[in-house]
Amino acid sequence: MEGSGHIVLSILAGILQIVMLPLMAPLVTGIIRKIKALLQNREGASVLQPYRDIGKLFRKDEVINPDASWVFRFTPYLLFSTTVVAGISVPLITTIRIFGFTGDFLTLVYTLALGVFFLALAGMDTGSSFGGFGSSREMTVAALSEGGIVFSILTLAIAARTTNLSSIAAAVELLPLPSLIPVILAFSGFLIAMLAETGRFPFDNPATHLELTMIHEAMILEYSGRKLALIEWASSIRLVLFISLGVNLFFPWGLASSVTFPLLAVSTVLYLFKVLLFCFLIAGIETGMAKLRFFRLPDLLFTSFILSAIAIGLMV
Amino acid sequence: MDPFMEHDCTFEEGRTPSGNFGNLNVYEIPESEVPGVCVTLHRDCGLPIKTITAMDTGAAVHRFRILYVFGVPRQNRFIVLSADTRDNGTFPSITPSIHEASVYERKIMTFFGLRPEHHPHPRRTVLHENWPENLFPLRRDVPWNTRPGNASVPYRFNEVEGEGIYEIPVGPVHAGIIEPGHFRFSAGGEEIIMLEPRLGYTHKGTEKLFEVPAAGDEIGEKVRLSERVSGDTSYSHSLAFCQAVESLADLELPGRAAYLRVIYSELERLANHIGDIGALMTDAGFGFGGSSGSRLREVVMQWNNRLTSSRFLRGVNTPGGVTRDMTPGLEASFLKFLGDLRLDFSEVIEVAEGRSSLLNRLRGTGVLDRQIAQDHGVVGVAAKASGIRSDARVDYPYAAYGRLNPEIATEQDGDVYARFTIRVKEVYSSIDLISRALRDMPGGDIQHGKAIKLKKNYYAAGITEGWRGNIVYFVATDQNGKISRVDICDPSFLNWTVLGYAARGNVVPDFPLINKSFNLSYSGNDL
Repeated sequence: MEGSGHIVLSILAGILQIVMLPLMAPLVTGIIRKIKALLQNREGASVLQPYRDIGKLFRKDEVINPDASWVFRFTPYLLFSTTVVAGISVPLITTIRIFGFTGDFLTLVYTLALGVFFLALAGMDTGSSFGGFGSSREMTVAALSEGGIVFSILTLAIAARTTNLSSIAAAVELLPLPSLIPVILAFSGFLIAMLAETGRFPFDNPATHLELTMIHEAMILEYSGRKLALIEWASSIRLVLFISLGVNLFFPWGLASSVTFPLLAVSTVLYLFKVLLFCFLIAGIETGMAKLRFFRLPDLLFTSFILSAIAIGLMV
Repeated sequence: MDPFMEHDCTFEEGRTPSGNFGNLNVYEIPESEVPGVCVTLHRDCGLPIKTITAMDTGAAVHRFRILYVFGVPRQNRFIVLSADTRDNGTFPSITPSIHEASVYERKIMTFFGLRPEHHPHPRRTVLHENWPENLFPLRRDVPWNTRPGNASVPYRFNEVEGEGIYEIPVGPVHAGIIEPGHFRFSAGGEEIIMLEPRLGYTHKGTEKLFEVPAAGDEIGEKVRLSERVSGDTSYSHSLAFCQAVESLADLELPGRAAYLRVIYSELERLANHIGDIGALMTDAGFGFGGSSGSRLREVVMQWNNRLTSSRFLRGVNTPGGVTRDMTPGLEASFLKFLGDLRLDFSEVIEVAEGRSSLLNRLRGTGVLDRQIAQDHGVVGVAAKASGIRSDARVDYPYAAYGRLNPEIATEQDGDVYARFTIRVKEVYSSIDLISRALRDMPGGDIQHGKAIKLKKNYYAAGITEGWRGNIVYFVATDQNGKISRVDICDPSFLNWTVLGYAARGNVVPDFPLINKSFNLSYSGNDL
């Protein structure tokens, strides 16, 4: 009996692992927008608005530039699927590896990079000037932020002596107190790089209407209808994916270490709470500071890199 | 110190005006003398050019007159040079010696088909490719209500050549709900090498419409038309027009109306400046400042509505007065509102000034050099931010400004932050001016009440300081006392010429911020 219950729970946890990120992603985006609105003395739209937006876009017609090649048509599907697949690797509520093939952090980073690479190609594909400079800027930022992400997680990987995300989370949970200093340093590096990776302040303004200042939005300006819905959805999954990495790798306390119902229930609640805290952090940053000038972005990303390098130095 | 007196000006000694029209002294001179006299007036006497325009004075045959209107600051007086064009439709360009004349001469060329001789860069402005080359809409024989045939007149953008230089075409349709305009960037990487704005998408033939006789309340119709030249500046535009009509009809302004006009003018400035301050913070990505700006602007707009039944203060101006009075009941709560607004606004600015990330975006961005600003005759917020102290409220005191003596803010740096700061200072001084106007305002009538009868064959100028800068109306009547020509000079018309200079050398993503710091009118430019 106990064995079959374990299997049921494992299957449940597995399903949760696959669908949780895509399903909750628009909500997280909605919550960040709502907190921002409240911090700015505005009423703001409902936290469910991103679901409605994506639903609306799925029902709309799309216009495709006749000059667009297969890259343009293919990219949204690739971007969406790589993001969902990458999401399966992230430990959400448990440190147990549910799928044997997932969980290497380098694989995760470069699966995501594949989607961005194609998005940048698609931006240039239609030949519009906005798409062109959007892609050029995205690549400038992505090339620098990738190092920040890899090096910050590398700090943990060195401490845990594994590159598997679930094992890293399990190992960080058991780290002695003094080791937390490099973990905090690496987290600062991670936070900066992840804001760049997800197109948030101070790198990019997801809410702007000014074409000339856009980075991510400029690349996808030519998309409409279903394809735009997929891209928007993928962007929000990407955000919650990075948030989950942040909270569960650097602050893994509370993750279920075995598949039992009470542990899973507690860890789910704790995880959602940690994500909510992160939403406040992002909304606070976006309300409290202005966007950086484009040519100052590399400086900040370099800072992220240095922070992680110091953390690695301390860890070794 | 009076700037006019600093200069050694002997132009008027030994000359008598060919005609005096109220505060306009008109000197008729032969066209060949125009460049010399203009240089004397502008450079030696230091008189600013307020407008240069043309009139079709012929009935059967075309006869054109070019009018050069110079302002005499502090004297509220204008010196007008009037010169008939040559028979072949050319006139001597003064642009080689006075650069700011360039746009005026190009406008005359476009709308009257008169050729400025020796103009370094004579090309059409405002009208687009599909407007026929030889149709000049402000000529008498061109009817206002017929649609011209299709045409295709080529337009060439200035080109920059070099390795890695690429062009970014932006607009005329933009992502936000704003007016249409095309911007052509030549960029090297992210750096702007050159920017050429192409406007004219909102050309409505406004000046021609002013010449069309209206049935019924003719002057009233034209006041309403002036309110629609640039929607966000409805009040200052109609005020400038009403002032011109008042001198055409010899109307005295009742004392109470003069103070009410100050109050309404400053309310318009308040709403727009606060909106712009917020929008600048939005464009820099500082969300709190942005939403505070729109919130406070809305409160001012709602007060506009309570006081005048119009959020944009339309229908308030009438020649010889205003149509809306301040009731004692409203006055008390209005004063309280001003106090609250001042407090609220100062708190928002305090937060903004404490944000180094915001200040970093605003400082050093989009610097407008003072010499370039002077050479292009830049006015208003942009001029004051580059250290040029000019303001129609002081230079040509109208309404009750002469008695209230407003303080004029200036900044030296000429960057986005300087234009931001000018607006902040003007918000405080506007609140102060309104409070003082309320305190000093006498009782009595708010309208003249006399029938309006315009003088025949007369000229008049009306000038106000809109929130963007000087608004100039030059109005002429014919032998029947009907309005025969209205020349409108919105501050944007001059200030658009320097946007490219301010943007040069900045990165492309900073352009929206620079553009917003000028916040020029497309409609007011395109007319």
